[in-house]
Amino acid sequence: MGIQVQFRKEAAELLSSGAVKLVIGYGEGSTPERRRPVFVRTPAETERLVLDGACVANLSTYLISEGLLSDGKNVAVFLKPDGIRSINILAAEAQLNPEQVVIFGFDIENGEARPLAGRKASDFTQVVEAAKAAGLSPELQKEAERLDHISAAERFEYWKEQFSKCIKCYACRQVCPMCYCRRCIVDVNQPQWINTSSHTLGNFEWNIVRAFHLAGRCVACGGCDRSCPVNIPLRLINHRMAKEVLDAFDYYAGESTDQKPVLATFRQDDPETFIL
Amino acid sequence: MSEPFEPKIVAFVCTYCTYAGADLAGTSRMKYASNVRIVRLPCTGRISPMFILKALQKGADGVLVSGCHPGDCHFAQGNYHARRRWTVFRALLAFTGIPEQRIRFSWISAAEGAKFAELINSLTEDIRKLGPFEQYHELQTVIETQSTY
Ligand code: SF4
Ligand code: SF4
Repeated sequence: MGIQVQFRKEAAELLSSGAVKLVIGYGEGSTPERRRPVFVRTPAETERLVLDGACVANLSTYLISEGLLSDGKNVAVFLKPDGIRSINILAAEAQLNPEQVVIFGFDIENGEARPLAGRKASDFTQVVEAAKAAGLSPELQKEAERLDHISAAERFEYWKEQFSKCIKCYACRQVCPMCYCRRCIVDVNQPQWINTSSHTLGNFEWNIVRAFHLAGRCVACGGCDRSCPVNIPLRLINHRMAKEVLDAFDYYAGESTDQKPVLATFRQDDPETFIL
Repeated sequence: MSEPFEPKIVAFVCTYCTYAGADLAGTSRMKYASNVRIVRLPCTGRISPMFILKALQKGADGVLVSGCHPGDCHFAQGNYHARRRWTVFRALLAFTGIPEQRIRFSWISAAEGAKFAELINSLTEDIRKLGPFEQYHELQTVIETQSTY
């Protein structure tokens, strides 16, 4: 039985038994190679669910919709390992109760979706460990190193050029499962920390703050990068942050539901070579 | 134009250690560069990275962030938390091309008036050599002069 058929059947069972009130999965998109999220509430509707190598979005972001989980009922969601890490982070940051999340885990290998065994976030510990062991993306690391080796002034010009394109649409924020603040710092105006109009200074500040708030929390799902309408390489700046917390604090985001957030904890012997 | 460039430096310091250290430098009549503007905060843990961005936005050429030595924090843990935050934020700024020499961090205790004075002097010299942070301040000028925004 193919994974799509299997997941449809199991989703229908969960819905008809009332074990979950909603299944968040993928459906046909606007073009054959695209998928869009679908929200399934009845067993019959599970026919709309699609699962294949084109299902790349991190659907965990829909779980933080206000009030969705506040009735205590369960929701099922299709997740790749990055999405499972998101659930771990959201649970660790007390944004959801992982017991309410039923996971249809899958991974994409050679363009094909294959199932991952488990139903609850804690069932996937080995999957997350394997992801950590596989390491951060070598391609991004190469690109980040290229930037590290040019002068600061040249790097500044590179990012100035990139950030000058930003139109402050905040798609990168909206799509991110880790961006759940009801009031984002960029929307705060007493005091106004960040210039809100989309000129380059404000864009610079916005992008620095976005990256900083996701340091040690980003799971590299690529949602922000794909959603950016002007193709700013957000993956690169996210990667650089992930590398920093890994190197400095041996920290990999989303390892478990009780992993302390990297910036909400410390060790007395944390490195501090740069402090005078 | 023979006047040397006088950098603007903003120092965010905790009240219990570095501010007291600066005070000691003053009461001991040590002279240090008048380029520094000191902003006193309750703890390094209260020094948000937003302050650094704000200082740059408002025209600073350099920023110093300083507090109690590890183990000496009045609130026991504030500086340990701050240290992690600085590590990450510093790497981020460096990656976006904001030179590390312009954003500095130090531990200065209430007894280290001399260290404070020396650090301010050397920091001022370093930044004087780097010159004004034109690259960043230019971004602000663009806003002020281009009506299309
Ligand atoms: S910052 Fe981007 S890549 Fe990281 S978790 Fe958020 S959407 Fe995904
Ligand atoms: S998605 Fe891109 S253009 Fe939109 S706010 Fe984010 S960085 Fe700017």
